[in-house]
Amino acid sequence: MIEKLLERGGDLVESADVCVIGSGAGGAVAAAELAARGRSVVLLEQGHHWTRADFTQREDEMLPRLFEEAGMRQTTDGAYTILQGRNLGGSTVHNLCYAFRAPEPILRLWREEHGLSELTAEALSPSFLRVEKNLRVKQILESELNASNRIIRTGAQRLGYSGFVARHNREGCIGAGYCILGCSYDAKQSMLITYVPRASAAGARIYANARAERIEAEGGRVRRVLGRVVDHDGRPHGSVEVKAKVVVLAAGAVASPDLLLRSGMANGSGQVGKNLHLHPSVLLAGFMEEPIEAYRGIPQSYYIDEFINLEKDPHRGYILMPISGFPVLTAANLPGFGRAHFAHMAKFSRMVGLLALLHDRSAGSVESGRSLTKPRIAYRMEESDRLELSQSLVHIAKVLFAGGARSVLAPYWQDPVELRPGDDLSVLERRGVREGEIGLASTHPQSTCRMGADPRTSVVNAWGESHEVAGLFLADMSVFPTSLGAPPQLTTAALADRTAFHILGRWPEFAA
Amino acid sequence: MDPLPTDFRRTTRRGFLRLAAASASLAALAELRSLPAAATSAAGEASGRFFGPSETEILTQIAERMVDCGQAGAPRLRATGAIATIDRTCLALDPATTRLLPTALRLVEYGPLVFDWTFRRFTQLGDAEKDASLTGWMTSRFEIRRLVFRALRNLSLLGYYSQEESWPLIGYAGPLLRPPRPSA
Repeated sequence: MIEKLLERGGDLVESADVCVIGSGAGGAVAAAELAARGRSVVLLEQGHHWTRADFTQREDEMLPRLFEEAGMRQTTDGAYTILQGRNLGGSTVHNLCYAFRAPEPILRLWREEHGLSELTAEALSPSFLRVEKNLRVKQILESELNASNRIIRTGAQRLGYSGFVARHNREGCIGAGYCILGCSYDAKQSMLITYVPRASAAGARIYANARAERIEAEGGRVRRVLGRVVDHDGRPHGSVEVKAKVVVLAAGAVASPDLLLRSGMANGSGQVGKNLHLHPSVLLAGFMEEPIEAYRGIPQSYYIDEFINLEKDPHRGYILMPISGFPVLTAANLPGFGRAHFAHMAKFSRMVGLLALLHDRSAGSVESGRSLTKPRIAYRMEESDRLELSQSLVHIAKVLFAGGARSVLAPYWQDPVELRPGDDLSVLERRGVREGEIGLASTHPQSTCRMGADPRTSVVNAWGESHEVAGLFLADMSVFPTSLGAPPQLTTAALADRTAFHILGRWPEFAA
Repeated sequence: MDPLPTDFRRTTRRGFLRLAAASASLAALAELRSLPAAATSAAGEASGRFFGPSETEILTQIAERMVDCGQAGAPRLRATGAIATIDRTCLALDPATTRLLPTALRLVEYGPLVFDWTFRRFTQLGDAEKDASLTGWMTSRFEIRRLVFRALRNLSLLGYYSQEESWPLIGYAGPLLRPPRPSA
């Protein structure tokens, strides 16, 4: 049962074995596995329940529907744009489908530096296998690369850079290209069409427009979740109360710590909301001789891993990924205004985007803001991260030129740099990446309620359970002890799957 | 390290007065750090729109300069649904996100008086002067002013480039045919 509370009206009073908060890559998986194995589950999702019939392929309609703050969520200094989902299915509805397992060197790092000895590739394998099967993960074929991915692959190969065509969670994709605005064809195997319906079929009661605002505990055990029925704009209507023996918090690395801080719980370590990693990204635009319509076809399938070697150094590196946009998103990333801005926009159909995504060590924070929909997100790159991201600009430009670009634009807000083949690229590294000078973005906020064996330095244990509050589990990217250094969708889902089975195994204890 | 910024030590008396006036305005802008941000104006609220009529006119004139492409035959912003799209977007956002937008518009409207020492408002300027005024916001050393500029610029771009009339200008073919809606 999936219910839109806004349409139903009134208050919501429920009780269940488990209350899951959030329906993205973590929450949907936990809800489905728990419900499928006999637990009564209530899932609360603050966003609306949109379906493919609502996915109009228009930015002005889809950005407000699918993204927090209509895609305009930013760090408090305005330097980073943070794209996060706000709908049933969470960010999996707008993501671009890269499907990677957690890199083994990162798991080793988590074992060695965070005491998470249980997190081995072997131990996680059953969970990865389950989520890969349910999300229909498969290899993207060479023939499915669109024009911009082919250009970037050509560039990487000419330079001898390591790269490959990735695996995705798609089925029957027609290559329309509108993945970031929601798949109108239900080809993207997002939580919206996989785990959420599975959870519903297994008896989970799923409520859209239900915002959790407080978790309450009694005698050291979680007891209930309180909240509001909200419209898509966040305006409150009725009240929500769900009594539960277990709460699985999976609202994402921004909302989850915000909710814990507002609830005043599980923060004896002082680490809730700390250690925020963003996988910050910066992009350059290449302009080809002829129109290529990069917005058609699978937007992001090639993956350049030349500049990240986690075996050698699990703390650093960056990945290069193709990116394409539609008119509004593209326009927002180009510098200037008026005719200077249009000089770049006029080349829209010839544009190829390539971004660097940093495996960051810098740590920001999330604090509760004035509004529940507007937490305070602070992040500033450390100098070593800044230098690395600055170096990436040169490599991006090299790939674009080697792929055939006639010019490359570094879209600094002021005095943008446009280069031609043969120009000295070191100007990019010298100019570098500084907050407020060039567009920076994040689609992977993480680590704000990190896992660890030591309750003094972490929020949850290796199973995602709070060190302090019995029955309180976290199942989203907030639990990553460090930056993952890879696209996080599968790892989030696999850890949530593992958490769900752990809860099931200990159920007699929670039921008592 | 010298604690005084170089620009401050060079400040003349006239410059100091300008700086003081600008600072007063910037103090009011302190809430704009996480833009875009303002309560729906009373006039707007009464009409079911986010912006009231005077705010809509300021926004329109700002947006016209933001998306000016200098192309003969380009669709005029006023002839499209761009401003209605911006209004609809702002109306649909949490007030915490849009709280200070009307204030931002008025600051740009009165910006020429404060920052450029001209006795005309933004909407009374010619195109070149408007561009110069907006450039002042874009390149200001005050981060807050740059954030105001970016917020209004991005809203303008959202409004204009979401209009089908603008797509031929940039070679965007537009959405594919929509799939058939599921039967009711």
